[in-house]
Amino acid sequence: MTTLIQVCKNLSLGTRVLLALAVFSSIGIVLWPASKQEGMDLWMFTRLHERLYIPLIAEWNTEHAKSPVHISLLSVPALERRLLSAFLSGTPAADLAEIIRETAAKTFSGPLDDIGFVDLTDRIHDEGIDKQIVEASFSPWTSRGRIFGLPHDVHPVALAYRADIIEAAGIDITKARTWSEFFHLLAPLMADTNRDGIPDRFILNYGIGNVDVTEALILQAGGSFFDPDDHPVIYTPLNARVISELVSWTEGPARAAVDAPEFSASGNKLKLDGFVLCSIMPDWLSGVWKNDLRGLSGKIKLMPLPAWDEGGLRTSVIGGTMIGVPKAAPNFEASWAVAKYLYLSPDNAARLFQEAGIITPIRAFWKNPMYDKPDPFFCGQPIGRTYINLCDRLPRRSASPFNFLAKQRMTDAMLTLRQYARETGDYSLAHLEPKASELLAQAQASVERQIKKNVFLREPATKPQKEESQTR
Amino acid sequence: MSLETGSTSHPRWAPYVFLAPFLILFGVFTIYPLIQAVILAFQQTYGPNTTRFIGLDNFRYLFSDPLFWKALRNTAVYSCASVFIQLPFSLALALWLNHPKVKGRAIFRLIFFSPSLFGIVFVAMLFSLIFEKYTGLLNVGLHNLFGFSLEFPWLEEYTLTALILASLWMSIGFNMIYFLAALQGVSVELLEAARIDGANAWHRFFHVTLPQIQPVAAFVVLLSLIGSFQLFELPWILLGGGGPDNKGLTIVMYLYQTGFETGDLGYASAIGWILALILITMAVCQRTISKRFES
Repeated sequence: MTTLIQVCKNLSLGTRVLLALAVFSSIGIVLWPASKQEGMDLWMFTRLHERLYIPLIAEWNTEHAKSPVHISLLSVPALERRLLSAFLSGTPAADLAEIIRETAAKTFSGPLDDIGFVDLTDRIHDEGIDKQIVEASFSPWTSRGRIFGLPHDVHPVALAYRADIIEAAGIDITKARTWSEFFHLLAPLMADTNRDGIPDRFILNYGIGNVDVTEALILQAGGSFFDPDDHPVIYTPLNARVISELVSWTEGPARAAVDAPEFSASGNKLKLDGFVLCSIMPDWLSGVWKNDLRGLSGKIKLMPLPAWDEGGLRTSVIGGTMIGVPKAAPNFEASWAVAKYLYLSPDNAARLFQEAGIITPIRAFWKNPMYDKPDPFFCGQPIGRTYINLCDRLPRRSASPFNFLAKQRMTDAMLTLRQYARETGDYSLAHLEPKASELLAQAQASVERQIKKNVFLREPATKPQKEESQTR
Repeated sequence: MSLETGSTSHPRWAPYVFLAPFLILFGVFTIYPLIQAVILAFQQTYGPNTTRFIGLDNFRYLFSDPLFWKALRNTAVYSCASVFIQLPFSLALALWLNHPKVKGRAIFRLIFFSPSLFGIVFVAMLFSLIFEKYTGLLNVGLHNLFGFSLEFPWLEEYTLTALILASLWMSIGFNMIYFLAALQGVSVELLEAARIDGANAWHRFFHVTLPQIQPVAAFVVLLSLIGSFQLFELPWILLGGGGPDNKGLTIVMYLYQTGFETGDLGYASAIGWILALILITMAVCQRTISKRFES
């Protein structure tokens, strides 16, 4: 002690002051009582959903004053980082989390027992929720046969077209039943009147880089990246045919598509200018257009997607959101009750459509007459009913953590295929399909190699999942 | 009160107390993560609690991983462009702006240096608009001036060129400042003597100026190489990831994607160690070459 005092005596006044400040502030921090927030935390990523939930949550909180719900709005990357960090390190997370498909897939890359969300499979079956909701809506939240989230939406896809331009040209586009008929009918509108080498307008908004639309079109054709057991099925004759056609849409003598990206000023300008006539439009995008492209009000109409073959599927699916309960949530029953309150609420379903154009996945609510109301933005079409009519035929999607990788490899294959077509100068399907098959075989091998590297996916669950979910 | 006699007013443990804060922080935030990264490189992980020892599998996979080689190739091309395009431009600018006859040198220096004051994210956002097809400043400008195609796919197919151009705009002025500082230390007497002896401008540059700025040039080259191998933010924002067909994928970006998007911290650690080895090798080579030049 005396030596310590002696050391302190040798210190300058400034050092002593700094030392005293450090000691007192450290003691202060240790003794300061940490404020603990009562109730439950709900993490979400979109302001739109937040706006819809605020009145519902306020109502819930008045009835459950002891355990109120607090909404935290985070950006998608921030939510993903926090959630994955919490899951991977076992630290506390929110009581409920609303996430997109890509985030959910990332949480499914470990052993089944270690997935950070509570397995809801038995709850959903026991409470009959699976019978109320469109079956395809569960697929992005299902890993190895177990469901980890309650679906928020269905997201059927239709085709939006510039009725003002197309109908003024005397073309009845609704007659197009297949993609080839569609491009054939609209071909006259692709003239190059100013002779600058670029058509005055393009028929379809599509670029090879748009992986979500590529996936939707492959799903529409009946193709897929993974089978129901999550084994990669990228290398198939059907996928080869689809990507060959998609490449020929974007370049070569039959070129009809241009990339006018969503959520970008340049993409929006191309749409407003009529440079692109048709866009592949999931229900949520109709709400986005109403906000971002008001200049198109009364100029747009919706129709089912043209099929790949006569009598084929006239829709597909893009996007998706779920709500899940992290295992670290202290009171599962309370979190589950809030999840059902938000996702199975008829009021929320109605507001979801009115404010965002999103169709609820709960079939019973589709009877609501608001879905038949004419929409002035879409030239008076009842777009709610148009989308609902497509909901029952939606393709199943994979929740594989490697789905994103598969989409990337597919895009790489398409870019190489386009380069091949460019070099050979031949964009015919007969010429492209064999090369497409070869490239898809390479893409599949690459994905398989990555999957094989993950030892966890090969391990079976150690605990019976039913037992685990019932103990919660 | 001398060290030789061993008599001191401080106790023997006093130096350790003073060293302790640094050692603790260094141990916790540098040594421990380094050791952990070595261990991780031999594991498959799903967070720190779920790990499996997989031996050399991560390294085996790495050396046969086409994406890793693509990332390495892209990074190497970008680094070469930094050294062989960007630095000569910076040096040329510095030589010009060091010339006493150039009017308004201070203003020009500020103009050329100012892009490096912007954040990388801002620069990436700016160039993503400039390189847009149909509506981007570059394509529209070139189209109006020379009839250049509005569809020129800068970000789709000329990804590395676009990256190098953006980086050139941002970094050229920053490196110019280093060269300017070095040029101001070049002996005027020597240059004058060479001129009197009949040496032309090229001879004076190669035989007088360059040897004198060589230490600074070597430092700038090393800094530029290390910076290039750590390239991440610019392509990440400009291309929204690795870009089409991963044409803009860099090693650090691949490390980030593997560790924080795929969640494979073990493989990311293996990539990190290979990157560290590359950087160490480059630094050693650069030092060796510099010493040879000096001698």
